[in-house]
Amino acid sequence: MGVSRDPENTDRSEFLMNKGLNRFAILVACATFFLIIAGALVTSNDAGLATPDWPTSNGLLFPEMVGNLFWEHGHRMVATTVGLLTIGLAVYVRFKEKRMWIWKLSFFALLTVIAQGLLGALTVKMMLPLGVSAAHGTLAQLFFCTTVSLAVFTSRSWMEARVLPEEKGMPPLRWLCTTALVTIFLQLILGATLRHSATWDHHLPVHLVLAHVGGAFAVTLALGGAAVSVLRRHKGETFLTRPATIALVLLVVQLFLGVAAYLTRLASPNEPQPLNPMISITVAHVACGALVFATTIVLTLRTFRVLPASEAAMEMAARPQES
Amino acid sequence: MNKQTKVWLVLSIALSLLALGSACGGGGTTTNSPSSGGDATAAAAPYSGPTGTISGVVTFNGTPPAPKKIDTTADAACAKANPNLVTDDTMVKDGKLQNVFVYIKDGTVEGGKKIGDYQWSTPTTAVQLDQKGCHYAPHVLGLQTNQKLSITNSDQTQHNIHPTPKLNQEWNQTQANGAPPIEKTFTRAETLIPVKCNQHPWMKAYIGVLKTPFFKVSGEDGSYTIQGVPPGKYTVVAWREGGANGTEKTMEVTVPASGAAKADFAFGEGATTSNKPSLQMMPALELPAIGKH
Repeated sequence: MGVSRDPENTDRSEFLMNKGLNRFAILVACATFFLIIAGALVTSNDAGLATPDWPTSNGLLFPEMVGNLFWEHGHRMVATTVGLLTIGLAVYVRFKEKRMWIWKLSFFALLTVIAQGLLGALTVKMMLPLGVSAAHGTLAQLFFCTTVSLAVFTSRSWMEARVLPEEKGMPPLRWLCTTALVTIFLQLILGATLRHSATWDHHLPVHLVLAHVGGAFAVTLALGGAAVSVLRRHKGETFLTRPATIALVLLVVQLFLGVAAYLTRLASPNEPQPLNPMISITVAHVACGALVFATTIVLTLRTFRVLPASEAAMEMAARPQES
Repeated sequence: MNKQTKVWLVLSIALSLLALGSACGGGGTTTNSPSSGGDATAAAAPYSGPTGTISGVVTFNGTPPAPKKIDTTADAACAKANPNLVTDDTMVKDGKLQNVFVYIKDGTVEGGKKIGDYQWSTPTTAVQLDQKGCHYAPHVLGLQTNQKLSITNSDQTQHNIHPTPKLNQEWNQTQANGAPPIEKTFTRAETLIPVKCNQHPWMKAYIGVLKTPFFKVSGEDGSYTIQGVPPGKYTVVAWREGGANGTEKTMEVTVPASGAAKADFAFGEGATTSNKPSLQMMPALELPAIGKH
């Protein structure tokens, strides 16, 4: 690790660090990533209404997984597993974690996954209204963000990292990374809305496609700028440069996947059924989008961990609150 | 925050907001042009008087698209029952087009009254829709408002029937193999309602619902005959699937008293009948030679 450690922080990490808890948090984040892929497969296969009931599928807890029921019920099974894992994580944190705010964050994750399950139920019961389906897709990313953050906060590298003496250059990396993160989240909302605006046998609405393309430019600008600034200013600090490099590589892959997904989706309404490569490329685009988001979360959190706040922010924090 | 930071932030967020803004504004049109929706008019009188017919042949100009193979392996029962299933959206035999829904959209009966102002009794017999070989039979069908639709499952697997109307109530119901028929009605006139099976996404059917009995689906030889039509001047529409919401051809037809009127329609390349695509979504961005067959 490029960022040097000091004895004080090392002692603190030994006091706070729980390897088992961190591994469990990573497991929950990975399971959530898998759940996002399972959800994307449901949408691409047009399987969301393969069964009209919820939580059972055609009245059964374990129905015969044929046709599109394989994707829809499979998604429900993965979601149930993630829900149970999240409960486990909240309990684990409660008993093993000494930082109260981590416990609050894990409780927030639990509330989010419950809300996500209820949104899933609503999408089925209300027969996939765009607003509810897009909210389901968006909340999935917010939940993923929370689980990734928990994995970061419980990691050894987070506790061992020492604050760097100064921010090298302007604009501050905290601002750049936060801007990139917010831009990506807005783009994920657009992506979820676009995905649910038309089934495979209908063309996608032009205004949403254009909005998503505009969002891609915004993300490229924001994330590209943030990552390149990290690489230029903090060469050798792998704590920061590693997620920045990964984010850049994933961003390039994501842009290519986006173009490929659009081209395959154009042909889809002329096909008799949802087919590969449309399904696999679109799902890969969703998955890569989640990875770009996750990497940017890690990068942003790390900049907040090791880089000092800007003078302006310090001044703002020091200013007495006006009633 | 210095000037450079501000420029950076404003540029990124402006692009995002621009993208979001364009997503919120300018949605696709959602008018349902081919439909003549609306509940039955109260206190309408039944028609009594001479009637004639409207008949014709629907042809397809040019080379029809070759049927596409459907992959049914996602459900072993489908793969076994119908291993060579192909698409049936353009069924052409000797240049004649099957599965075209022809109906009187509007018009005036001799005497000046609109055809929709009469009361047309609802048939007591149910229209049948079967799921056989993981395929809907018939592919296109018509019925009157409040007439029963009886749906059966002749397959060794379960299906779910999911009509997606714009004017009627949407529903989605599973039908296991061996389950009794599902009976449903549609209360509002609507042409045409797509029906799909979410378990087997290749399964599609279209239902035309009208207040009047003046509709017919073209047969294997492309012919159709609408009987019992009062003499008058009518707008006759021929609808076939294709594109986002099908394609329509319209023709003005005069039915003489106790006589026969002829209305031939043509689809395909260079078809000259008045053509109005009934697209209800905005068309997608299309690049040349991509997504075309």
